[in-house]
Amino acid sequence: MSWLSEKRPQGLAFRLSALTLTAAGLVLALMSAATYFMAREALLKNAEESARTLAQALVMRIEARLAPISRVPQGVAYELEDGGLKGEAAILRRQRRVLADNEEIFGMAVAFEPDGTGEKQYAPYTFRSPLGPKATRLGGPAYRYHYMDWYQIPRELGRTTWSEPYFDEGGGGVLMATCSVPFFANAADGPLKRGQDRRVAGVVTADVSLEWLTRLVASVRVLDTGYASLISKNGTYLTHPAPGVAFNDTIFSRAEEHGDAALRKIGRDMLRGGERFVESRSLHTGKPGFLAYMPLPTTGWSLAVFSPRDELLADVHRQALVSGALGGGGFLLLAVLIALLARSITRPLRRLASAAREVAGGNLQAALPEPRARDEVSELAASFAHMQASLRDYIRDLTQATASRERMQSELRIAHDIQMGILPKLFPPLPDRGEIDLFASLTPAREVGGDFYDFFPVGRDQFCFLVGDVSGKGVPAAFYMAVAKTLLKSVAESAGGRGQRRGEDRSAERAAGGEALKTGEAGGGRSGPDPARILARVNDDLAKDNDSCMFVTIFCAVLDLNTGELRHASAGHNPPLMLRAGAAPEYLPAPGDPVAGAMTGVRYESGSLRLGPGDAILLYTDGVTEAMNPAQELYGEARLMELAAKSAGQDAKGLCDELAAGVHSFADGAEQSDDITLLALRYRGAERTTTD
Amino acid sequence: MEFTGEKTGAFLVLMVSGRMDTLTAPEFEAECARRMEAGETRLVLDLSRLAYISSAGLRSILSAAKQLKARGGDLAFCGLSGLVAEVFAVSGFAKLLPVFATREEALARP
Repeated sequence: MSWLSEKRPQGLAFRLSALTLTAAGLVLALMSAATYFMAREALLKNAEESARTLAQALVMRIEARLAPISRVPQGVAYELEDGGLKGEAAILRRQRRVLADNEEIFGMAVAFEPDGTGEKQYAPYTFRSPLGPKATRLGGPAYRYHYMDWYQIPRELGRTTWSEPYFDEGGGGVLMATCSVPFFANAADGPLKRGQDRRVAGVVTADVSLEWLTRLVASVRVLDTGYASLISKNGTYLTHPAPGVAFNDTIFSRAEEHGDAALRKIGRDMLRGGERFVESRSLHTGKPGFLAYMPLPTTGWSLAVFSPRDELLADVHRQALVSGALGGGGFLLLAVLIALLARSITRPLRRLASAAREVAGGNLQAALPEPRARDEVSELAASFAHMQASLRDYIRDLTQATASRERMQSELRIAHDIQMGILPKLFPPLPDRGEIDLFASLTPAREVGGDFYDFFPVGRDQFCFLVGDVSGKGVPAAFYMAVAKTLLKSVAESAGGRGQRRGEDRSAERAAGGEALKTGEAGGGRSGPDPARILARVNDDLAKDNDSCMFVTIFCAVLDLNTGELRHASAGHNPPLMLRAGAAPEYLPAPGDPVAGAMTGVRYESGSLRLGPGDAILLYTDGVTEAMNPAQELYGEARLMELAAKSAGQDAKGLCDELAAGVHSFADGAEQSDDITLLALRYRGAERTTTD
Repeated sequence: MEFTGEKTGAFLVLMVSGRMDTLTAPEFEAECARRMEAGETRLVLDLSRLAYISSAGLRSILSAAKQLKARGGDLAFCGLSGLVAEVFAVSGFAKLLPVFATREEALARP
């Protein structure tokens, strides 16, 4: 057994399932992948939107509180310019009111421009102390405020500025930023007038507590680990979720520290007031994600919101996982269903196949599976059932036909035996007389045929022999042959009988018809019956009511054993071959008398010749001369004569055997189409020992 | 086996070509039956193109001759040669039935 034959055959069910499942699995996988990527794209787009929105909302909230605060010192500045606030008492009063109304404002200073020498500094300042608002004055040799940023920058720029946030040690360690607003005056004292030269007269400041700001920004939670951070105009972190970063690090120092060029680029853009949504990696959590940043217009600071990527995509991943699990479950379910379906489809096929094997094995009664549904399989089953029924009928018919043919064969065999049985087979025919040597053979082409031969003594010294050939073959010819042969013998014997029984009642013989046969015979008795008369009589009997139009050719001869005189007549038969001792063979001329049985009233001529001792005569039927070889050539009279000449030295049996063998070898396997009959008679001369 | 019929006066000359044996004799019988059905009673068989005739063929000819005779007609032959002429001679059919050397002779009968 080779490994190949041990390989399991892949059934229809398996292939059907495999194909369907592969296709379904592929479609499912493609759909899942497409859904996943589309959902991710949508989510990322959404994330940008929401990050921007979050940042924007935060900026708005911060701006909503910072903008009003910056308007407070602005208002004070306007009053100073308009001359509404004169004198320290009024300024302090106003400062106190501001502190009372704005809880984010920790302190307010009105710092006047010092004179040219800088010696004369004047800056009344009110701030919140644990014991309530407290007024003081800034400036002096130790604190030259006009060199401070909070004074100098707005003074130089001529507009409101916010300082870098700082921790105010004096103010209770809170985060603060100072909003500084410059106020102007004309060269001359008095309220500020438009169109005149003006100079900076001083700066109004508000120290704003930014605790709320850091709390606000720190409270922002983006997803789980996302966060918001704020950087100042310098890039300093104002709030950052990592401890120790705020006020210690700038965005650039962190970028430097971590070698993050992208962060430096982002920092630069943030300081420029850029507004963007970029992909970035958090230095705080180490996660990749997205950074949305935008500026705070009032202060020039910048707010950044970081959203970690994995958390953004967590939903998508979860969804993909769920849909994958669902798809996998569905696929398994589908696999089970398809396997069941495929098996249910192929089950009737398998049953049909096993039934077919049984039928093929010869059991035509094998039960076929009943189809459940009307489908191709049921059609196949129906066709198969039809085939089985046809086969059954066919086999039955064949069995019957075979039986019938066997019966016919058996009957034909019996008929053959009967036919062969009616031919004389006693050789030599007259054991007590040595005048003749005779042998005859008949080889039928089929079981039964129309050839025959016969020989019998007619009278004491007369010997009749004959060969006949009925037209056609088979059973009709056999019947006709039996009739013809019987008729011939009875006619010949009844004629010859008269000669044998000369002394008996002649009137009885006359009544039997012997008279006619002896007509023309001088001397009666010794010369025996006349063959022509025999044939005429037989012809009349056969031709009467012969609707089948069958006929028979006959060569009939009567030999006088004592003298060797041979009288002969032919009813359309092949001319016999004369084999005279010491001479070349020659055919006896045919008289051309008609076949027997064709028409009544035909006259036949008898011929006469004398056989010398050793002379022989060969009678045959056309089965010999018309035997064919595979090339469709006829054996012919020439070949017969040639072979007979070679075999002339043999006795009658030897001659017949030689000639039959010659025809057989000529035919060379070609089918024998006609009966082959041979009869050879050699006259040895009158018996010397005969007592006369 | 092929047949070519040609009507000449009261006669129908039937040219028979091929071989007339056990296999083809029924064809000949059918052809004769058809001609007789058509009312022909005087048939002349031109056998000049017949190559071979077996005893079955002779039987068919005999049958046709008898049927024609029963209808008051006859069957004559012409153009016999070779094997066919020999068979006619040996079997005595030449004596039983009218055989002529040529078609003209066969048609010249009364």
